Amino acid sequence: MSAITQIPQLLVYGIVSGSILALGGIGVSLTYSILGFSNFAHGDIMALGAYIGLGLLGLFTAVGLADTPLGPLSFGPGFILAMVLAAGLTAAAMIIIDRLLFRKLRHAGPIILMMASIGLALGLRNVIQFFWGPQPHYYIARIQVAVPIPGIDARIKSDEVFIIVLAIVLVAGVHAFLRYTKMGKAMRAMADNAALARVTGINTDRVIAWTWVIGGGLAAVAGILAGVENKFITPQLGWQMLLSIFAGVILGGIGNPYGAIIGCVIIGISEEVSTAFISTGYKPAVAFVIMILMLLVRPTGILGRKA
Amino acid sequence: MSLLKVDGVTSGYGDMEVLHTVSLEVGPQEIVTIIGPNGAGKSTLMKTIFGLLAPSVGTIRFNEQNITGLSPDRIVRLGMAYVPQVENIFPSLTVQENLEMGAFIRTDDFSDRIDEIYSLFPVLRRRRTQRVGKMSGGERQMVAMGRALMLDPTLILLDEPSAALAPKLAMEIFERITAINETGVAILIVEQNAKESLRLSTRGYVLAAGSNRFTDTGRSLLENEEIGRLYLGG
Repeated sequence: MSAITQIPQLLVYGIVSGSILALGGIGVSLTYSILGFSNFAHGDIMALGAYIGLGLLGLFTAVGLADTPLGPLSFGPGFILAMVLAAGLTAAAMIIIDRLLFRKLRHAGPIILMMASIGLALGLRNVIQFFWGPQPHYYIARIQVAVPIPGIDARIKSDEVFIIVLAIVLVAGVHAFLRYTKMGKAMRAMADNAALARVTGINTDRVIAWTWVIGGGLAAVAGILAGVENKFITPQLGWQMLLSIFAGVILGGIGNPYGAIIGCVIIGISEEVSTAFISTGYKPAVAFVIMILMLLVRPTGILGRKA
Repeated sequence: MSLLKVDGVTSGYGDMEVLHTVSLEVGPQEIVTIIGPNGAGKSTLMKTIFGLLAPSVGTIRFNEQNITGLSPDRIVRLGMAYVPQVENIFPSLTVQENLEMGAFIRTDDFSDRIDEIYSLFPVLRRRRTQRVGKMSGGERQMVAMGRALMLDPTLILLDEPSAALAPKLAMEIFERITAINETGVAILIVEQNAKESLRLSTRGYVLAAGSNRFTDTGRSLLENEEIGRLYLGG
C-alpha cells in the first residue's frame, strides 16, 4: 500500500486523536490565560480521570450492574454514567488541589506555578501507579470492526464516531458557556485583564474554581476517550499526550481556547498522516517540529492576538 | 459633609514612599481635579484611595466609613468606582459584555442601567456588539467609564481620562464627564490636560513631589499666575 492511498484512513485516525487532544487543550488554554501558567499536570489530570472512570466501572461490575452495549457501540449506559461521574469527581479533585497547592501560589510568578504543576504531575502519576499499578488496564475488551465510510477509502469504528461527536458537542457546550453565560464572560474578562476584573468586582476566586471545573472535567473525558480509542490505559496515558496538547495549544494561539481546539486537531492529523511517510516512532517529533516552527514564524499562533 | 476624605495619607510602593501626608476632600456631586507634574504621585493617590495600595499612615473615609486598608472589591461595593489610566477595558469582550462585567456583583435586572449608559454615550449603543479591543482610544475610554458606572457609584475616580487622545476627542470626553456629573455622581480626576479639567471642576488640588501644594476652586487655580506658570504650561 503506497503512502498516498493510506492518507484518507490516517486522516480519520487524526481527527479522532485530534478530538481527544482538543478536549485536553481547552483546559491547558484556560489555565494559561486565567491562572497565568502552563499546567504540566494537565496530562496527568486526564489520566486521573481515566482511572477514576476505571474504578467506577469496576464498582458497577462489583455491585452487579452489567453494562449492555448501546447499539453499535462497544460500551453502554453504565460506561457513559461512569464517564459523567468521573468528570465530576475529577473537577472536584481539581478544586481541592487548587485549594491545597495553587491557591497558596496565587501571587507567585509563572515559573514557580509551572514548577508546582510539574510536581503535581509526578504526584498524580505516582498516586495512580500506587493504586492501580504500572501495568495496562483494559478499558474495553470487546473487539469492534471498523466499517467503510461511504465515498472515501477509509474505515471508522462506531466508538470513534462517538468520540468525534462527543468532542464536537462538548466544544459547542464550552463555546456557549463562554459566550452566553455570566460566568463564561467573566472567565474571558479575567483572561483579558485580571487586575481590572478584580477592581470591577468580579469574583475572581469563583472564576478560578470554574476554570478548574471545566478544565478538569474535560480532561477526565479526554482521558476516558483515549482509553476507549486505545482499549487500555496506563499511568503514562496523559503525560504521553501532553507534548501534543502543548504543541496544539501553541499552534492555535496560547490562551485562546478556540485556537487550542483548532491547533490540537491539526496536531492530531499531522501526527497520524506523518506515519504514511516516516516511522510511527517520530509522532511526538512531528508535534515538536510544528510547535518550534510556529514559535519561529508566528509566536502568537493561528488565533493568538499580539501582545 | 464630605463624600471622600483623605486625611494625612502616606503611601507608596514597598519601601519607596511616594505620597507624604496628603489630604484631600471630595463633596457629594463635586468634580475635583488633582493636577501636578509627572511623578507627583497623582496615580499613586488614586490607587491608594481605591485600596490597590495600603497607606502606611493616615486614614481614608468614604461616606463617613473608614475604608483605609479595604480591598478594591470591597470598596467597589460601597459605591466607589475606579477607571485606571491604561488597560481599563476588556479588549476581547464586546461593548455590551464590558458593561455587563461592570455589573457583575448586581443580582437584579440591570438592563435599564445599560440603557442609561447608552444614552450617555450614544456611540456605544451603535457599537454594542463590537469588540472593544478594535475600537478607538476615545471609544475605549467611554467603555471604561460606562463599565465603572454600572454599579451606580456615588464617586468615580478617573485617572487621566484624556491621556493620549486627540484634542477634539479629549473635549468630548470632558463633555461626557460633565454629563455624568449632572446625573449626581461625584468625580475625582487626575489630569495632564489640567486646564480643561480645572475649567469644569468645582475645586482643584495641586500635588507636587508627593505633597499638597495648593488647593482652591477650579476657577481660582486657573487664574493663579504662579500655578499657571508652574503647572499649566504658561
